[in-house]
Amino acid sequence: MDILDLAARRIKRRAAHIFTLAFIGIWAVYSAIVEAYVMPGPWPVLIRFFEFFSDMSFVMHMVWSLIHILTAMVISFFIGLLLAILPFYLSITKTAIDRRLTPFLNSYSGIGWTLLAVLWFGINDLTVVFAITMVLVPFTIINIREGLVQLDREIQEMSISFSRNKLKTFRLIIIPSLYPYLFASIRISFGVSWKVALTAELFGGNKGLGYLLNLARQDFDTPLILVVIIIIVIFVYSIERFFFKPIQNNLAAHNANI
Amino acid sequence: MLTFKKSNNQNNSSKYNWLADNLLGWILVVGAVLGWWAISQTISDIVMPGPIAVGKTLAELFFDPIFLDDIFISTVRVIGSVIISVLLGLMLALLPRKYPITEIIVQERIKPFLNSFPSVGWAILAVIWFGSSNFSVMFVQIAILTPFCLVNLTEGLKDLNQEVIEMGNSFSRNKYKIFFKITLPLLLPYIIAAIRIAYGVCWKIALVSELFGAEDGIGVIMLRAQTTANASMVFASCFAIVIIFMLGEKLIINPIAKLAEPK
Repeated sequence: MDILDLAARRIKRRAAHIFTLAFIGIWAVYSAIVEAYVMPGPWPVLIRFFEFFSDMSFVMHMVWSLIHILTAMVISFFIGLLLAILPFYLSITKTAIDRRLTPFLNSYSGIGWTLLAVLWFGINDLTVVFAITMVLVPFTIINIREGLVQLDREIQEMSISFSRNKLKTFRLIIIPSLYPYLFASIRISFGVSWKVALTAELFGGNKGLGYLLNLARQDFDTPLILVVIIIIVIFVYSIERFFFKPIQNNLAAHNANI
Repeated sequence: MLTFKKSNNQNNSSKYNWLADNLLGWILVVGAVLGWWAISQTISDIVMPGPIAVGKTLAELFFDPIFLDDIFISTVRVIGSVIISVLLGLMLALLPRKYPITEIIVQERIKPFLNSFPSVGWAILAVIWFGSSNFSVMFVQIAILTPFCLVNLTEGLKDLNQEVIEMGNSFSRNKYKIFFKITLPLLLPYIIAAIRIAYGVCWKIALVSELFGAEDGIGVIMLRAQTTANASMVFASCFAIVIIFMLGEKLIINPIAKLAEPK
C-alpha cells in the first residue's frame, strides 16, 4: 500500500512539474505574440531579476519594506495584545472591544487609512507604518481574544489556589497558554502586512517595494513590476513554508505531548 | 427556596453586567465621536474634518443620484466577483477529487501562488492587460478572492463524511445524482462560509481594485477626494463601505445562511 502511495505521489509530483513548465511555456509563447510592455517574456524578467539584486538601491527598497513591516508588526502586536487582554481583566469593556472597536477596525479599509494618513502625516515612513498597523491590529485582537476564550478554566483555578499574585499568574499561566494564538496572530500578520505594505508604500511612501512598483507603473516598466511581484511571492511563500510551518508543527507536537 | 433566591440574584447581577457592558460600549462610541469632534475643532478641516461635516458628506453619498450610481456599480461588481470566485474556488477544490493527479498542482502550485500574490500587483497588471473597465476591476477581485474560497472549500471537502458518500454509492452509480444529492448538501456550510469570507474581503479590496482600473465606483470617488484634499469625502467613502458591508451581511448573507441551515 505504501509503495502504491509513493508511486501515486511521484506521478502527482511529475504532473505538477509538467504544469509549472507548461505555465512558463505558455507565458513565453504569449509574450512573443503581444507587445513587450503588456507581457514581457520569462527570459527578460529573469535577467531583470538578477539585475535587481546587483543594484544596491533596489535592494535598499526591499530592506525598507522589511523595516516598515517589522515595525508595524511589533507595534500592532502590543496594541492588539493590550486591547485583547483588557476585557479579560475588566469585563465591563467586553462589549466596547468585541462589538464596537474590533468590528469597526476590521471593516475599515486599509487604503482608507493610507489616504487619511497621507493627509495627516504627509508622504513618509510614519504614514506607511501607521496604515499597516491599523490594518493589523484587528487581526491580532481577534486571534488573541479567541485564545483567551479557549483558556482552560481549571488551570486558571489551580493557579489561583497556588498564588494570588495576578502578575505571576499572567506571566506563568496566561501567556504560556496563549502561545499558539500569539503565534497564529504573528503568522497571519506577516501574510497580511506584505499585501498592505505594498498599497501603503505605493500611495503614502517615498521608499520601499510599493514605491518602486509605483515608479515602474508610471514608466510602463512591466518587467520590473513582475520582478517585484515575483520577489514578494517567493519571499512570502518561503517564510511561510520554511519558517512558520516548522514552528507551528513543533508547537502542535509540544501541545500534543502535554 | 434558597437556591431560587440565589439564582435570582445571579440573574440580576448578570443583567446588571450586561447593561453595564452595553452602556460602556455606547459610551465608547459617543466618546470617540466627541473626541473626534474636539480634535477637529483645533485642526484645519482639510486635515481632520469633524463628525458633522463627514456626516453631511455621507448623507450626500447616499442621496445624490450621481454618487448612488457609483455605490450601486461597486456593489454589483462585488456581488458578481463573490459569486464567480466561489464557483472557481469550488471547481479548483473539486478537481483533485475527480482527477487525483492534479492534487499537487492545485494544492502546492496554484494555491500558494495565488495566496501570496500581492493585490496591488493584480491591480496594476490588470490595467496594463485590460485597460480601465468593469472586467479589469472584477478580474482583480476574483484573482484575490479565489484562493480564500479554495482554502475554505478544500477544508470542507476534507471533513466530508466519507461513509455517507459510500452509502450514496451503494444506492446509485449515477455520479451526478450523488454529487447533487449528497456531496453538495454536505459541503453547503463550507460554501456559505466561503461566501461570507469572500464578501468581507471583497469590500476591503474593492477600493484597491477600483483605484487604477475603474472609471466609476466608490474607489474612484475616494481617489478623486484624496487628490483634491477633500478629507471629509475620504472619511465618508470609507464609512459608506462599512455601512454597505454591514447591510449586505444582514440582508443578503445571513438570510442565505439561514436558508442553508439543516431543517
